[in-house]
Amino acid sequence: MSNRKGPPGSQPFMKRPDNTAFKQQKLPAWSPTLKAETVLPFFFVSGAACIMIGVLLIITAAGVQEIKVDYTEERDCAECYSLRLDRANSIIDCACTVFFSLSEAFKGDVFMYYGLTNFHQNQRHYMVSRDDAQLVGRQYNLKNPSITCVPFDKYKNGTPIAPCGAIANSIFNDTLQLFYHTDKNTETPVPLLKTDISWFTDRTVKFQNPSPMDNLTAAFAGTARPFYWWKPVYQLSVEENNNGFVNEDLIVWMRQAAFPSFKKLYRELNRTQEFNDGLPAGNYSVKISYNYPVGKFRGRKSVIFSTVSWLGGHSNFLGVAYCASGAIILIVAIILTVVHLKFREKPLGQEEE
Amino acid sequence: MLCEVCDTLGPQSRVRQRAVPLDFSFNALADRRFVFFDHALLEAVKVGQPATHEFFRLLALCHTVMSEEKSEGELYYKAQSPDEGALVTAARCFGFVFRSRTPHTITLQEMGRPATYQLLSILDFNNIRKRMSVIVRNPEGRIRLYCKGADTLLFERLHPCNQDLMNITTDHLNEYAGDGLRTLLLAYKDLEESEYEAWSERLQRASKAVDCREERLAAVYEEIEQDMMLLGATAIEDKLQEGVPETIAILTLANIKIWVLTGDKQETAVNIGYSCKMLTDDMTEVFFVTGRTVHEVREELRKAREKMMDSTRTLGNGFPYQQEKLDPPKGSSVLEAIPGEYALVINGHSLAHALEADMELEFLETACACKAVICCRVTPLQKAQVVELVKKYKRAVTLAIGDGANDVSMIKTAHIGVGISGQEGIQAVLASDYTFSQFKSLQRLLLVHGRWSYLRMCKFLCYFFYKNFAFTMVHFWFGFFCGFSAQTVYDQYFITLYNIVYTSLPVLAMGIFDQDVPEQRSLEYPKLYEPGQLNLLFNKREFFICIAQGIYTSVVLFFVSYGVFADDVTQLADYQSFAVTVATSLVIVVSVQIALDTGYWTAINHFFIWGSVAMYFAIMFAMHSDGLFNIFPNQFTFVGNAQNTLAQPAVWFTILLSTVVCIVPVVTFRFLKLDLKPQLSDTVRYTQLVRKKQKPQGRRLRIVGRTGSRRTGYAFSHQEGFGELITSGKNMRLSSLALSSFTGRSSASWIDTLRKKRGTESPAAQQVSAGVSPQGAEASQVSGGVPLAAPETGATGPAGGASAPGPASITEECAVKE
Repeated sequence: MSNRKGPPGSQPFMKRPDNTAFKQQKLPAWSPTLKAETVLPFFFVSGAACIMIGVLLIITAAGVQEIKVDYTEERDCAECYSLRLDRANSIIDCACTVFFSLSEAFKGDVFMYYGLTNFHQNQRHYMVSRDDAQLVGRQYNLKNPSITCVPFDKYKNGTPIAPCGAIANSIFNDTLQLFYHTDKNTETPVPLLKTDISWFTDRTVKFQNPSPMDNLTAAFAGTARPFYWWKPVYQLSVEENNNGFVNEDLIVWMRQAAFPSFKKLYRELNRTQEFNDGLPAGNYSVKISYNYPVGKFRGRKSVIFSTVSWLGGHSNFLGVAYCASGAIILIVAIILTVVHLKFREKPLGQEEE
Repeated sequence: MLCEVCDTLGPQSRVRQRAVPLDFSFNALADRRFVFFDHALLEAVKVGQPATHEFFRLLALCHTVMSEEKSEGELYYKAQSPDEGALVTAARCFGFVFRSRTPHTITLQEMGRPATYQLLSILDFNNIRKRMSVIVRNPEGRIRLYCKGADTLLFERLHPCNQDLMNITTDHLNEYAGDGLRTLLLAYKDLEESEYEAWSERLQRASKAVDCREERLAAVYEEIEQDMMLLGATAIEDKLQEGVPETIAILTLANIKIWVLTGDKQETAVNIGYSCKMLTDDMTEVFFVTGRTVHEVREELRKAREKMMDSTRTLGNGFPYQQEKLDPPKGSSVLEAIPGEYALVINGHSLAHALEADMELEFLETACACKAVICCRVTPLQKAQVVELVKKYKRAVTLAIGDGANDVSMIKTAHIGVGISGQEGIQAVLASDYTFSQFKSLQRLLLVHGRWSYLRMCKFLCYFFYKNFAFTMVHFWFGFFCGFSAQTVYDQYFITLYNIVYTSLPVLAMGIFDQDVPEQRSLEYPKLYEPGQLNLLFNKREFFICIAQGIYTSVVLFFVSYGVFADDVTQLADYQSFAVTVATSLVIVVSVQIALDTGYWTAINHFFIWGSVAMYFAIMFAMHSDGLFNIFPNQFTFVGNAQNTLAQPAVWFTILLSTVVCIVPVVTFRFLKLDLKPQLSDTVRYTQLVRKKQKPQGRRLRIVGRTGSRRTGYAFSHQEGFGELITSGKNMRLSSLALSSFTGRSSASWIDTLRKKRGTESPAAQQVSAGVSPQGAEASQVSGGVPLAAPETGATGPAGGASAPGPASITEECAVKE
């Protein structure tokens, strides 16, 4: 087009658009319309498909076993609960135990979660209060936490906090230990795995210790623990590869929940010895080192045990939603069919047919 | 068939069908663009029949055309009316070449021999006389009067001995008029020297008269234009631009009201009205408003209204109830619903009164009740006033189309201004929104491109509101769960890119390419234009439907995902996975929605829609990649999210469910609408599909043949005053300059002086443009700019000037009735 230049009027067709299908709006095209022959079968098929998916999901979810033990004020935890209402008592240790029993064995992999309610991890100011550059081990950010961490970035004397920010500061610090009671007097600690409970990308990419990685004490020298922590970040665990920023409890906590009631993966059953097939039926107890105060925000704490399926947890929401949608679609399909056969206004062309 | 010698000697053969055009190669000065088909006529000229020669001599002498010979043999004629130009050109090609003129001579080249005639006087044309004559002294010294004019007037002034020839000619004239041609009689008269001397003296006296000069002159002219000998008749096709009547018919069917505002005289305007089928013989009545005082005009308008009301009453007798039901209680609606077809022709001086504040409503109501409205002799200002009037009271969208400088004000006043590019200069073109060279392009502009444009714009707008509501409202629902802390649901990059990358191109492609019905169908069914007039595709209701749909979508997107995430599925409770799930659902849902909205899937639509979805995933994976995170850990905090989240089957089930729940109601409602209340476009679309399966059919719309019963008189486009100008020689001094700048519209030229005198534009200066619109190009600027008609095959050979229907103002009414 641009190659056709000339003084105005020299070529009468200078401004004529090219005679191409594109410019003349004559591109070959497919013009679909909603026709009864396509719409009605589509409705019936999709309705049926939805119901089938729904049933499949419900069956899958039904195969997942789950037990939830709310220990906020359970038995002796009630004392701890009231103790933790006052911040001044935070230096006092408080331990309690809750009991539960499984009527049937949890087969396969069993996961242990802690659940919190009414805890708004999705609050804007809370969510941004972290420094991912620090958590990935950058030296500069380690010593100079991001401004987003304020006021959890530095002590008054200027010592930087690692990890900085409100999220890390409020880490869930109850310790939960699971025991299996074979009879009244013997309790066997259930072996639990502390690792592999976070996303692979999180523990390998998103969270990295600062160098030197083999000496975390040195690596974190010049930084201090968050205000509410009892120990510095390099003492979170005794295991080398689960310490510092790559401690998986920290990583799990740092992945904020979308909604105020959430559960986070705490441990995974180590399937050895008698727990080779999962958790056998019987009595269990969870010994809790009750540190985390929830009374102030009227939250609840719980411990959850669950098996998994290919789909996920023990949730029926998707299955029910699919079934309901499928049913509605089928009803609509029937209504549409009736309407189409009885009430439709015949387009001109159809009469000719 | 334009011009034909009708004498008793010459055989009359009319070549109607395709024939071999005449070969004018014997004549070096012939205009090559001139095409003629009657071989007998050329034979008669070559043989040297005196009557035939005289016939063409008359055509070459009796006119007010100016010639310009830039180089030897290269003649250009500047005719003030195209009819004259055509006749002189015809004479030129048949060997009687008008070469040049001075105030007192006319030089011809007759069959190759130069001949100079002494121009003794020009008896100029005017409205009443409807004829013009020249008195010349031929090289042999004989004085002869040549006259051409309207048949009715000339027949009375012929010598009685012409009776036989008159009868034959009358038959021919009737035949021509039946074909809608403009006829002209040619006659001559030999004058004795003494006779002329005496008359000339009387003329001198009359022209020096102080009072009633015009009348005196006319009387003197009358004296000499008596007992003339009939030479023959010419017929000129008043060739409108191609397709004008069809265009007007189609636009009328599309519920567009057409008003013609022209500077022409009433006769010309009415004539054009007939030839472009705005006025028809089967109209109930054509009202002429020609009053010169306020009172007269008011009276005439009142009478017109009363007549229409009367007919309503008489016709409505059979079903008075129905009539009442039809009429909403509105004052003007009675007139809107009148049966019968009426037309209103109003004169400029009457219009001046009609446009006054106290009468304008009356005028508008009367005019709106008429099928056709023609305002003639209107000034440019009045044109604008009329458009303004309609704009003010009728809530209508107005479109003004014109070709002349005096249409500029009207073009600027109307909502849409269209300029016709042609011989009239470029002022109108420069002031207009759209420009083309052919009036008939208007139907494509409105019915095809205008319609598509409206459709596309409405769909585009609806979709835009929809997709942004679906996108944004999710945050509102999320607010209930994050303490209204302004936490966004999506990743910041998704928010940035959603509108500009993920969802912009498909809707843009729809806005550019969408067609509900193909162009041929929208021309075939002008009723398809109606939704735009009634504002059906985008109004408050449609707007709220879009918004409701957007909000519904956001509810589904949020709460389906919420159901899954709050109900703790393993590993899936974190905010970032939620963000990815909702964002992916959103992109897929709006893409499915645009796929549903797109009615015309070109390769580009496919590319954009699929491409946008693919782009979403590509960009998401890139944004969530290790590489970017390692460079900017604080900016790309979603690292690893895409692969971890989308690896979960539950996420895909969530997305699928959201999509189904969002789309099924839309499909349901659309299907129901299509099934129960199909719009015309749906029906046309459907028949299109059916037709495609069957064999392709021809176009339904046949071009209506030209029929007419009106006998036209002297070329109505003719103007008086030129004869005087020529004899005074005023134009000669300037002529070369003026002529060269004619097309350029030099402000100082004599043509402008004349224009001012006439107060309006030249009506028929618009010539046929030779160009043929390129295949549907929008506003294609094809200006042939050929002074004479383009050679055409078929019988309609070279016409004289083909006039556009004058500068017409087309007023498009939103159907007030509904």
